[in-house]
Amino acid sequence: MSLSLSPTNAISAVPAENSKIAPIIHLSAVGKRFGKNQVLANIDLDVHHSEVVCLIGPSGSGKSTLLRCMAFLEEYDDGEIHIEGRLLGWEIDDRGHRKHAGRNRLNQARRNLGIVFQQFNLWPHMTALGNVTEALVRVRRLPRQEAEKKAMKALDKVGLSEKAKEYPARLSGGQQQRVAIARALAMEPKIMLFDEPTSALDPELVGEVLAVMKQLAQEGMTMVVVTHEMGFAAQVADSVVFLDQGSIVTRGTPNEVFRDTNHPRLRQFLQNYLDRNAFWHTTPEKTS
Amino acid sequence: MTFDLSIITANAGAIWNAFLVTIYTWLAGSVLGLMAGLLIAALMLFGGRPLQLLLRVFIELVRGTPFLVILFLVYYGGPSFGLRLGAMTAGVLCIAFYSSVYFAEIFRSGFAAVPRGQLEAGECLGLGRLQLLWRVQLPQMLVLILPAIFNMLTILCKETAVLSIITVPELTAVLTGIGTRTFTFIETLLVLCIAYLLLIEITSRAGRWLEHRVGIYLQR
Amino acid sequence: MFDWPTFLFSLPLLGKALLITLQTSLLGNAFGFVIAILISSMQLAKMPLLRRLGGSYIFIFRGVPLLVQLLVIYYLAPMFGLPNLSPMVAAVMALSLCSGAYIAEILRGGLMAIPSGQSEAAHLLGMSRPAILLRIELPQAVQSTLPSLVNELVLLIKASALVSVVGLADLTRVAQNLASSDYLFFQHYLVLAGIYCLINIPLTMFGRRLERHLERSLA
Repeated sequence: MSLSLSPTNAISAVPAENSKIAPIIHLSAVGKRFGKNQVLANIDLDVHHSEVVCLIGPSGSGKSTLLRCMAFLEEYDDGEIHIEGRLLGWEIDDRGHRKHAGRNRLNQARRNLGIVFQQFNLWPHMTALGNVTEALVRVRRLPRQEAEKKAMKALDKVGLSEKAKEYPARLSGGQQQRVAIARALAMEPKIMLFDEPTSALDPELVGEVLAVMKQLAQEGMTMVVVTHEMGFAAQVADSVVFLDQGSIVTRGTPNEVFRDTNHPRLRQFLQNYLDRNAFWHTTPEKTS
Repeated sequence: MTFDLSIITANAGAIWNAFLVTIYTWLAGSVLGLMAGLLIAALMLFGGRPLQLLLRVFIELVRGTPFLVILFLVYYGGPSFGLRLGAMTAGVLCIAFYSSVYFAEIFRSGFAAVPRGQLEAGECLGLGRLQLLWRVQLPQMLVLILPAIFNMLTILCKETAVLSIITVPELTAVLTGIGTRTFTFIETLLVLCIAYLLLIEITSRAGRWLEHRVGIYLQR
Repeated sequence: MFDWPTFLFSLPLLGKALLITLQTSLLGNAFGFVIAILISSMQLAKMPLLRRLGGSYIFIFRGVPLLVQLLVIYYLAPMFGLPNLSPMVAAVMALSLCSGAYIAEILRGGLMAIPSGQSEAAHLLGMSRPAILLRIELPQAVQSTLPSLVNELVLLIKASALVSVVGLADLTRVAQNLASSDYLFFQHYLVLAGIYCLINIPLTMFGRRLERHLERSLA
């Protein structure tokens, strides 16, 4: 495999030793409402360099909304989100009121972020290579040749360099999602946000996407992943955050969250997961 | 009752000219209408709320009025405002005016049909609103709206027949003129019908071909 | 600018003409619907000849401008032994034949969307083919295409302005007569456009409401 494209792969410190350094993502008291509906309340969360954080929770728990807030795809109403020490999406004026940050400021903050969506969101009228090249040419202003070289490297990293000339419609769901990952990686982000990246995939295609994500994690990429794949979370995450009804119920290492917990709602959630996924043992094994 | 096509060959020159007038009014009016329609749709997308409302009312009013009535308003009513147009110019302008609101609706639905997520993905990569419009929305929209555009073109082709009422020397006017002068209704009306059927068929075939060409990326 | 006395004086005449316009369009729509049922079921029939006949009908009546169809009926009917066709009959005939083709295309889409299992089930219960069409398939097709059918009615009301050409005293014809008697062209045609809008815009909105309602019930 080729070298990592991420500049952060030089730092491979374990998060625990890292925690005294300023977090790369810092959320304090973040809240979000849709109309009268409070979907996120009082969220505090720090993510450090090279850390992999998995957000889990039942559907409607607000985990996807939280991730979208981290990219300012949703405007958060309360609290603050800092990416690399910079306030995301808002500006505080002289009188202490907040207003929308300008396009440029928002884009500057987003430069550090790569985002992968549940529905891939590839542009269907461009080839795989075209999808990856587009922003390199039009945002980074690279000459086409250089952009394509970079794009090929990113496609190679997700194992799809030989599909570069194909249109998305001719790729499987798993391949499309890997192109989407390459599109984000090519911009050399410091943080990758994944919003249920395997939920729209047929079960047999989930593995190839998770493998790419695992490799990224091993290379030291900072990642926040909303997922229903508990196996992935258990193996790869440095910490797992369980959300329910818009707030963080518990957070810990995979061991703490998946084995040692006695939090009733979390245990119920995990039990439901086991029931749904156990097809051999008629009675699922106790988790502790 | 006789059937004698010699009346057609005897007037071939006049009929050919009328055919060209039909093509000219149809295509010139449509191209102007397409441009005006794109402008209206863009204004509705980027303009403020009052402008949107104003354009909405304009669209509904034009859509509620028969083409013939618009033609009368401009051609016969225009002179009250000092707007004196030749029949041909009035015809082209009316086709453009009438079709602009339909084309605007087509473009608007095209803009709306590109999934929001594709724009979000571009936004996150730092692409600007206009870049997304030009690079992501327009090319995809083109495929989605081609059938509707070509359907509208066939409708407009048929509307040009109405121009005969304000004496534009197009196919319908010229052929029925020959028919009434020589009492050869069967021959002239038959040729008239065939001419329109041919134009419509060619247009819809061209539309399907283009759709296939532009939509090549959709094929699995 | 706007001559109010003239406007008020013209209202009763326009009112009577409006009735003629509505009568022609509604009759045209009704007969057109019957023709459409016939044509769309021909198009979906198994026999190739029937399918081709249905297809040709649609090709011809959608491909020729309504004005030309009107002229054909008006000029040629006497030659084929239908002398003294009144303007009303000629107008309704042309509108029905033409709208029949458009409505047939709409109904065909609605009929094709019905799962074939339904007619198979009805067939096994011993229902005849026409009964299946009228009792099982058509009601569903009409329901699912109602917004398009309403839209088609709006188009037909607008198209009915053309019947003024064969001398029927509809809205457009009466406005034309008024205008050429006092030369207030712009005013009369503006009022004319206003009356058409007054009928068509509410109908269009009604159609859109039906469409939203339909989308919600399907979602």
